[in-house]
Amino acid sequence: MTRKNLGRATLAALPFVLALIVGLVVQLTVQDRLPDRLAVHFDAGGSADRYMGITAYLLYGLGTLLVLGSLWAVFAVNGKLYGRGRSWLIGGGFALAAFLGYLLITVLLVNVDAPEGGPTDGFPLWHVAVAVGAGAVAWPIGALLSRLAPAPEGPDDGDGGGAIRERIALADGEVAGWARGIGAWWAPLAVLALLAAAVAVGRDLSWFAGAPLAVLALVIGTFCRPHVTVDRRGLTVSGLLPKPRLRVPLERMAGADSRRVNALAEYGGWGYRVRPDRSGVITRSGEAIVVSLTSGREFAVTVDDSATGAALLNTLLDRQRAGR
Amino acid sequence: MLFRVDPNSTVPLGDQIAAAVRRAVAEGAVAPGERLPAARVLAESLGVNVHTVLRGYQRLREEGLIELRRGRGAAVTANASPQRARLLERVREAVADARDLGMTEDELIALVRGELGA
Repeated sequence: MTRKNLGRATLAALPFVLALIVGLVVQLTVQDRLPDRLAVHFDAGGSADRYMGITAYLLYGLGTLLVLGSLWAVFAVNGKLYGRGRSWLIGGGFALAAFLGYLLITVLLVNVDAPEGGPTDGFPLWHVAVAVGAGAVAWPIGALLSRLAPAPEGPDDGDGGGAIRERIALADGEVAGWARGIGAWWAPLAVLALLAAAVAVGRDLSWFAGAPLAVLALVIGTFCRPHVTVDRRGLTVSGLLPKPRLRVPLERMAGADSRRVNALAEYGGWGYRVRPDRSGVITRSGEAIVVSLTSGREFAVTVDDSATGAALLNTLLDRQRAGR
Repeated sequence: MLFRVDPNSTVPLGDQIAAAVRRAVAEGAVAPGERLPAARVLAESLGVNVHTVLRGYQRLREEGLIELRRGRGAAVTANASPQRARLLERVREAVADARDLGMTEDELIALVRGELGA
């Protein structure tokens, strides 16, 4: 890990570590006055309805903060975020850590000198409001700090330039098509998780909420092993069934390039991403066909051997412009 | 992988599709285990009949370059090495040359046998 990366990871994990330290200090200070069983869960009226041993609670709080802290550190290093995305990540981390830290510590404090059945006053709900407030205050602090740290440079958008775009030599009348699968190992897992959520929501809340989730899961399911095709009709990403599919017709394209994209930094995540100036089907960071549209936007598909796909697109575009 | 067909050529379209896959394997552009596009997808892409694509795939299966599994589509076999694909290409060339010379099937096979026995 380079020094710059270390700095990024530290800043992202900092709020969680701070919350952890404050929590441990509070725990040590009030340890002797805590009951064996802590009231840790409260109903809407603020009275305790679930309990946990002190050690279990400690491990729970510790685990939550550590996992979140490492998650943020990993995102900060691997996400190569820049600009607004970066200040959102760091600010969001500060806000989340402040919110969680406040609640975790307050739960400890309301249990101080509490009788066996839980604290007499319960858990006043204004604590939740204060926790939200703490998050709101922490956000700009994090955002500000993220600006002080050295920012990674934005990805090179590459002016492309028609001159360096490769072509594939096609004879007159020759028909060419290029196809490639872009299966992502995590797609079936995402579908399963979504299905499980649909069933859980359906059973616990209502099937009116569960059914649409299940339908969404099935639609995504048909895209578990999507394939990308480039041909006279343009660029198509389709799933198991003929529809639904995504197609960018040649008429809407200005040109195509093969370049590396960063899922988090440029598209804010994985899947079908729509951003203000670009959209794409992003299954990973790495090489992709990036199409410049006549509208000035970009459409990207992460796929291996993207150079061949992009070259064929440019060839087909030439052909179309020549009116053949 | 890239497929190119020429509808104006005298070579049947199915054979042209098979030749494209063979070429790709010979050049190492597709690796063993890699899936080929589903016949329906490829047919729509090239604007040819699904059965034409299937005929091409069937031919590749007979040559041992790909395997066709129900529900799993076509995939390049584990032993489809570039050398094997190149050998298949040369066999096809030899057969075509023999036909041009007006040789019969038996005459060509006798030639190959002779070479094997040498």
